[in-house]
Amino acid sequence: MEIALSARGICKRFAAIDALRDVDFDLRAGEVHALLGVNGAGKSVFVKILSGLLRKDAGQIVVAGAEIEIGDPHQAELSGIASVQQRPELVDDLLGYENIYLGHEAPGGAEFQSFDRGALERRALSLSERVGLKVDVARPLRAMTAIERELIAILQALSSETIRVLILDEPTSVLTEAEKGVLFSLIRNVKAKGVGVIYITHRLDEVFEIADRFTVFRGGRVVATDVVGRVNRSGERIAELMLGASLGEVYPAKVTRPGDVLLSAESISYGGAFTDVSFAVRRGEVLGIFGLLGSGLDELSKVMYGDLSPSDGRLLVKGDAVRLRNPKAALRRGIFMVPGDRWAEGLTPTQDVAFNITLANLSRVSLFGGLLRRRLARKTSAKLAALVDLQPPDTWRAAATFSGGNQQKVVIAKGLFTEAEIYIFVEPTVGVDIGARAKIYALIRELAATSAVVVMSSDCDEVFGLSDVILALHKGRLTLDAPTAQVSREEVMVAGLVGQAGRQAL
Amino acid sequence: MKSLSPRLVPLTIFVAIYAIIFVVFASMSSAFIRPTNIVEILRGMSANGIAALGLTFVIITRQSDMGFPWVASLGAMTMGHFIASGYDVPVAIFMGVLVGLAWGAVNGIAIGLFKLPDMITTIATGSIAFALGYLYSNGDSIYDNFMTSGILRLNDARFLGVRLPIVLLAAFFLVGWFILDRTRFGRAFYATGENRRSARLSGIPVQIYVIVAFCLCSAFASFGAILSSASAGMADVRTGINFLMPAYVSVFLGNAMFGRPSAGATLLGALFTETMIDGFTVLNVPFYYGDAIESVVLVLALLSSKPELRDAFRGLFIPARSMVGGGRL
Repeated sequence: MEIALSARGICKRFAAIDALRDVDFDLRAGEVHALLGVNGAGKSVFVKILSGLLRKDAGQIVVAGAEIEIGDPHQAELSGIASVQQRPELVDDLLGYENIYLGHEAPGGAEFQSFDRGALERRALSLSERVGLKVDVARPLRAMTAIERELIAILQALSSETIRVLILDEPTSVLTEAEKGVLFSLIRNVKAKGVGVIYITHRLDEVFEIADRFTVFRGGRVVATDVVGRVNRSGERIAELMLGASLGEVYPAKVTRPGDVLLSAESISYGGAFTDVSFAVRRGEVLGIFGLLGSGLDELSKVMYGDLSPSDGRLLVKGDAVRLRNPKAALRRGIFMVPGDRWAEGLTPTQDVAFNITLANLSRVSLFGGLLRRRLARKTSAKLAALVDLQPPDTWRAAATFSGGNQQKVVIAKGLFTEAEIYIFVEPTVGVDIGARAKIYALIRELAATSAVVVMSSDCDEVFGLSDVILALHKGRLTLDAPTAQVSREEVMVAGLVGQAGRQAL
Repeated sequence: MKSLSPRLVPLTIFVAIYAIIFVVFASMSSAFIRPTNIVEILRGMSANGIAALGLTFVIITRQSDMGFPWVASLGAMTMGHFIASGYDVPVAIFMGVLVGLAWGAVNGIAIGLFKLPDMITTIATGSIAFALGYLYSNGDSIYDNFMTSGILRLNDARFLGVRLPIVLLAAFFLVGWFILDRTRFGRAFYATGENRRSARLSGIPVQIYVIVAFCLCSAFASFGAILSSASAGMADVRTGINFLMPAYVSVFLGNAMFGRPSAGATLLGALFTETMIDGFTVLNVPFYYGDAIESVVLVLALLSSKPELRDAFRGLFIPARSMVGGGRL
């Protein structure tokens, strides 16, 4: 079979970290090739190199028999590689076909050349007919649904005459099941025209449905490439490949003395994000919840912290049903959340560490309801900074000047300052180097000695390594609820990746 | 050479630049350095400065208010109307400030709660205020009862030998500084401005702080316009119009010098601005040149608060380490 694209020995380093090491990859013409791997495995870096968003350090890329250099997205396009990003950037004010040909309205492409809208529309129509698609390209983009936008973005990618490779980055993350069907039939048509499709996804069920072959990335290397039909549909083998050997040693020993239940949920739901979720977390234990992007994990954390209100069910703090109207109400009930995006949600970056640490409980260092006791605030923050091992321990420095791991320690210290009894950690180690990671895990475990801790993450290993009780969330439903000691990592991974169906097949 | 404490560097730079313009004006006109003129600078600064202090709260929450000058005019006309109708001075002042407060609340609710765009909303609501200001007297100046009611004492009275407007200016800034720098409410204003999401997750009612900032901005501007009216001996629909440029120049000049908006930074910004305004007046420079020069200063202030330029500029004076967290007044 003809090879559409082949990559040999691709390497990419970021500072001291090997993002890609000697990656070999072949894409056949007319196949759908799924790229799999946990966050940070290297698959995004790899497709960014193919689409010209990053430059490789070493290796060669061959398209249609000729070696090419991809310096920028335009060169990628000229070489026949088109990509659709996770959230395609389209212009809301323009019509569908104007978006498809944006920047390519007229042959020659001079900036101020006039173009013929009618001709553009006819071109768009014939293009969508060629790939067997029924979409009204003459409507303004803002009137379009998620799937229509996705299709417009794909048509935009296909609009080049010379296309050989189409890269789709988690195209289904915003689509419903029915819409997914439309997308998949488009992919099949594109494939039939001899285009090679690289398909990035976290969802194994989609791999089994649409992909011909798959490649698994782990730690910047390709660990396996195989034909989809040759692996068990339970996904257990793929989960194993994605996880690799356990990194058990970074996780602290689990010493639990479960006490009374501090936080529990009774079949709570939020819109379409998650349904009928129940759990209870006790003082002295860590509850881990594993879920991928789009599983409802993010919404669940917000509901638990009063940032969103559940549409159904109820939350109980120490056995009392509570209605958390906002995060302030949650804080008052002794709940603190270390948010997943610390830059956007956890820090006031230009203010100093002491400002950040004290922010969530300023009344603790105020007199008469408002007057700040600045010396006390400084002293208390310095103590907490030492407790979380902030490096360097300078509480007068702006939060932005610290490394990712140390910024996370600042947010944890901010939580400690609130003297909460229930801590929720969302993606606690995203962007945190391995050294700081071990410290943060140790802190989480220490916290669990006196309080209840919930760790919510899309990193299966992390949830597994930290928790005493583990849940998995798949498409908004709990697919696993067990003491961590009684399940394997692979079972957890499959429950989050494939859901109930996968577990039954195991 | 002994290096300066990082906190004092911006202050030193300010004093140096201020000294230069002061000497330039003094050398061009002997009238400029007469004691009466120095007092005049401070007195003239009271109205603009108090308006700028109100704006500081809005800028700290990272919003903009383009309408407060018009609201201030309405506040002044309201005060004039109550004076002309024979009410007591405190009642008239209270009503004028109350109108400003109400307008600020409308702005704050529209912007903080309903997420309307700040500039356009405040231009619209400000225009309404300006139009309403005409209703009291068909746009004529109001000066009935001004001589007899005692409202002029707001400008003329002395407190411990100091002119009342200057005392009020000092009092407003003292309270403003205290709130912003020494209370948890001040922290909440800064946190709301810099990262609203993190402030909310830290339990701060961010919408309330945005509303309060807009309230203070319009109320302070109204009080400033009332001071101006007491000084002019009449209330005019155009009283507050001239607040816009000086207030923005004061806040952003202070912000550029001290790294973040604060009461102290605005006070020094206002002093700088007022000195320029007064200098141009003493030198009989036509007002439109004055406005143009102020605008140039504003653009320069904005440019110099760009981090890239700022680092280059500061690198000349202080070692890199002390740049972080320094410059807070």
